[in-house]
Amino acid sequence: MKEQLTESKSIYLQISDMIETDILRGILLEEEQVPSTNELARQYTINPATAAKGINLLVEEGILYKKRGIGMFVAAGAREAINQKRRKAFGETHLAPLLREAESLGVTREELIAMIQDK
Amino acid sequence: MKLQCTDLVKTYGYLNAVDHVDLTLEQGKIYGLIGRNGAGKTTLLSLLTAQNPATSGEVELDGQRVWENRSALDHLCFSRELNISPETGLGNIKVKEYLRIASVYYPHWDAGMAQRLVALFRLPVKKKLQKLSKGMLSMVTIVVALASKAEFTFLDEPVAGLDVVARDQFYKLLLEEYSATGRTFVISTHIIEEAADVLEEVIILREGKLLMVENVQDLLDSARYVSGRAEEVDAAVTGLEIHHAESMGRSKGVAVLLRQGQAIDESRDVTVQPMSLQKVFVALCGEEEKA
Repeated sequence: MKEQLTESKSIYLQISDMIETDILRGILLEEEQVPSTNELARQYTINPATAAKGINLLVEEGILYKKRGIGMFVAAGAREAINQKRRKAFGETHLAPLLREAESLGVTREELIAMIQDK
Repeated sequence: MKLQCTDLVKTYGYLNAVDHVDLTLEQGKIYGLIGRNGAGKTTLLSLLTAQNPATSGEVELDGQRVWENRSALDHLCFSRELNISPETGLGNIKVKEYLRIASVYYPHWDAGMAQRLVALFRLPVKKKLQKLSKGMLSMVTIVVALASKAEFTFLDEPVAGLDVVARDQFYKLLLEEYSATGRTFVISTHIIEEAADVLEEVIILREGKLLMVENVQDLLDSARYVSGRAEEVDAAVTGLEIHHAESMGRSKGVAVLLRQGQAIDESRDVTVQPMSLQKVFVALCGEEEKA
């Protein structure tokens, strides 16, 4: 949770994205407690209700779960679930803009594939 | 606990500084009060805290009138911008005397907290207020607001004159106190972008009238800036609530506030971007000159 917030996206989505990324990278482990809304609020200087909104998105998706009176924890299987989710979204979030830019520059599919293979 | 005003009006001469405002402040939220210079922010705050009599209308705390009602006023704190011009006489008061007056006036005063903040801000307590810089005067108002421990605390331009580090420090202190106590804070500011993430709700005043009270995240989720070739932009936003249209040659940009269920027609060749609270504010309040 060391990324910086930007203006390009809702704060609560950035909070949920950051937690997901930390789980993917193994910074937050499954069955481990995640920072509380007040801790997130203090670290990022954001309203606790906004931090809670980001956390709750992940609870709804089953990536985090609540232990009553203790806090929020990373669910078992969360890492795999996030991986699957991001793979599914990959076409829309990463490929679509790439193809749009390629098209407007007149880069052909063959050229594009060659560029990827050269990387 | 909730603080409510109904049909609140304050008239100065011919001007309705506060113009028929209905507003309910819930306990346990941080509100931002924004508006252009002269929009009536300070007047509204002084009416809500009964430091200024209303021309008409009511201010009630849980159904009890606030005016000259000590038991209601004990829960309210309005930490004003300090005016040290000669006619107020405030300039000759020393910082520690001003804080002592506040400690008498606010029944839940936390002397320990006041001391900690004075040390943190390195306030020169033996100096007269008129010797303080603008930023230091703001710090004094912040100390009073936080240490008052009032359920409903109003801060008028608390970050005016503060450097960027001190502003960040203030917002962190505010969040700490808010997390620990659940007090309600209402903060007026012109530095909207820095406050945006700290606020839960935003109250926008325009020419004395209440323009909107909205959850900040909901408002930002509904706000989009659409730009591109003018015809494409017009087609993409047909039937939507549009603000602040600007054209340049063949291109055009508009701010859109989407209502529930509405969407921009993204099959059109347009760029759709999120908006910051500051941009939304300018779109809503910055278009008077054009008319």
